[in-house]
Amino acid sequence: MKHFVRSLTLLVLAMVGGCSTITGDGRTVVRVATWGGAGDDSEFAKVEREIFAEFERQNPDIDIRLELIPGSQEYVRKMLLNFIARSEPEVMLLDASSAAVFVDNGVLKDLTPIIAKDQSFDLDAYFPNVVDIARRGDQVYAIPKDFTPMVLYYNRRLFDAAGVGYPKDHWTYEEFLDAAKRLTDRSRGVYGFKFANWMPGWITWIWNAGGDVLNAEGTMSSGAFDSPETQRGVEFLATLMKEGVSPSLSESAAMGVDLFTQGQAAMEISGHWALIGYAAAPKGSDGKPLLAMDDVGVAPVPTQLSSSQTVMYESGWAIGKHCKRVDEAWRFVKYMTSEEVQRKYARLGLAVSARRDVAEEIAAKDPREAKFFEIVPSARPPWGAKVEKYNPVETIGQNMMDSVLKSGKPIPEALRHAANQVDKEFAK
Amino acid sequence: MKQRPIGYLFIAPATIHLLLFAWIPIAYAAYLSLFKWDLLKDSKPFIGLKNYADTLQDQAFWNAMWNSTRYTLVSVPVGMVVALFVALMINQKLRGITLFRTLYYIPAISSGVAVSMLWIYVYLPEHGLINTILMRFGQNIDFLSHPAWAMWALVFMSIWTGLGPRMILFLAGLIAIPTSLYEAADLDGSTPWKTFWHVTLPMLVPTTFFVLVTSTISAFQIFTPVYMMTRGGPEGTTDVVGYHIYSEAWEKFHVGLASAKSFILLLAILAVAYWQFRAMKSQLEGYSTTVS
Repeated sequence: MKHFVRSLTLLVLAMVGGCSTITGDGRTVVRVATWGGAGDDSEFAKVEREIFAEFERQNPDIDIRLELIPGSQEYVRKMLLNFIARSEPEVMLLDASSAAVFVDNGVLKDLTPIIAKDQSFDLDAYFPNVVDIARRGDQVYAIPKDFTPMVLYYNRRLFDAAGVGYPKDHWTYEEFLDAAKRLTDRSRGVYGFKFANWMPGWITWIWNAGGDVLNAEGTMSSGAFDSPETQRGVEFLATLMKEGVSPSLSESAAMGVDLFTQGQAAMEISGHWALIGYAAAPKGSDGKPLLAMDDVGVAPVPTQLSSSQTVMYESGWAIGKHCKRVDEAWRFVKYMTSEEVQRKYARLGLAVSARRDVAEEIAAKDPREAKFFEIVPSARPPWGAKVEKYNPVETIGQNMMDSVLKSGKPIPEALRHAANQVDKEFAK
Repeated sequence: MKQRPIGYLFIAPATIHLLLFAWIPIAYAAYLSLFKWDLLKDSKPFIGLKNYADTLQDQAFWNAMWNSTRYTLVSVPVGMVVALFVALMINQKLRGITLFRTLYYIPAISSGVAVSMLWIYVYLPEHGLINTILMRFGQNIDFLSHPAWAMWALVFMSIWTGLGPRMILFLAGLIAIPTSLYEAADLDGSTPWKTFWHVTLPMLVPTTFFVLVTSTISAFQIFTPVYMMTRGGPEGTTDVVGYHIYSEAWEKFHVGLASAKSFILLLAILAVAYWQFRAMKSQLEGYSTTVS
């Protein structure tokens, strides 16, 4: 009975305290939240687990408690609710797409004083435009881990077979469409392009047509989302499907396979992470992969502007506002963004390292990586890095796209509706 | 009878529970609904009835109300007819009938999340249960992602999940009908259809009414399948009011506005229930003194 009472008391204390911060063997607990990975049996997860284990070996006084929350929306919501309850994890991975809601609501600790005190840490080692994502004035709220611009991938084998020249650095929409038409051979189930129906897959088409979902200041949608330029961008996407150079959404759903990886789509727009999938392409009847890595080329996304623009998705390590174990948390952040660990991550190929030294080293060895390196300066962060109320824009934008591409709603009407909805959300 | 203070002790647990988990939160929500109460912001200014005024002009809210209405208008009557039919089938003296009763009730005691997962697989394009069959006829429908289908996919599922409780209620109603009435009908040479129409159905009116009111209320509160299966999509076609309010509060953190929306929903449900009571009142008269 005594034992029971004691356990009960401990349990209640643990619940009241939110979490125990010291383990039985006297180590300090550092809670680390990310949006998934590490749980499964993939090569990536194995390496990541090893990276965490190595940190604990180097820092025997710290116990890393991973909190994996799958789904980026779910992750953001959970972290913010944790913060509201004053029990956010000590260390959080920050997604550029939702950085503003964290930074601008004071969810994160300003790292500037910590950086200033730490002689062994050099912020200049990271790409400055990537650090900017979580920078407000002089204050820095996250140390970037890695990032990726969205690029145009192409399959050289299909281009050669159709006798079409590879994508150029400055490709207009007309040139792109012309090439895509010549690459399409529906009798063999080959498409010129595979459109990916999510915001990262379509925002560059709108930007490069001169449009956008918000005005330049990120304060209003009317005048931007419903502008003639945005309309041209969306019209172009509808054209791709009408012309049959990209499977329609219902065709894509019915096929249920990744056409580019299957060697059945000549081009697609995606991030660096796609290379992991390409490397694991399924094998054909001849035993060779349907998509050979040597055939995968990288080019900037097509544009109607004077130069191609793209979006950059990024993640960085941040420390929670209510964190009491700042020293331990900082040691972890520093370790995760160190040259040693960054090199391990870079080899996995999920993204481009945010450290210039590591990224340059990789780019020097691999022409495809060098191409990424070239595209980086033309990449700007997603709106969510700057606009705190951005989250609903993504849902509204996707609804707009679906209503056009699935239900055939007239584009000007769909865009006006979306712009109105965004402005109403912003006014709340 | 004399009132005894001990009675309060007996009702205390239920009362305290109701007070703590229903009345106080409701009162607090009423208070919150008068503020611009953003969970992430320090300033939470008093804005009077502005949240209510904004809600009345909020297209997305009325879209959600309409979605809940059409969900209710189809799922409740169809669900009730199916449940009554199953109850009639199951009210027979057959061997192993208790097994069937149990089987039909299982969905009702299963976790809503697990049931939703199951139905995600049923509706899956290409490899889902339904599409595996449809593919033989060259058809393939992405039920949960197509604006024309998603809502009806949820309705169809609700008929299955709601079957158990409704069936049990109808069954209880059927068993309570005195056999003497059936004997009398028999003696009068009634056909089974006429017996059903003139004896069974009228005697089931109180049960039907109860099932109607409770089903309507719970249909208006549907949340779990939407959260699990469609997230209000595609294109907002399954954004029912329960999910809409949840997302206002816990995705956008506009707790004040979400509270105001909850109260408007409460008023709407009260109005519907009141109307149902009125409409059924004449029907119900006389049933308090059922033949025993």
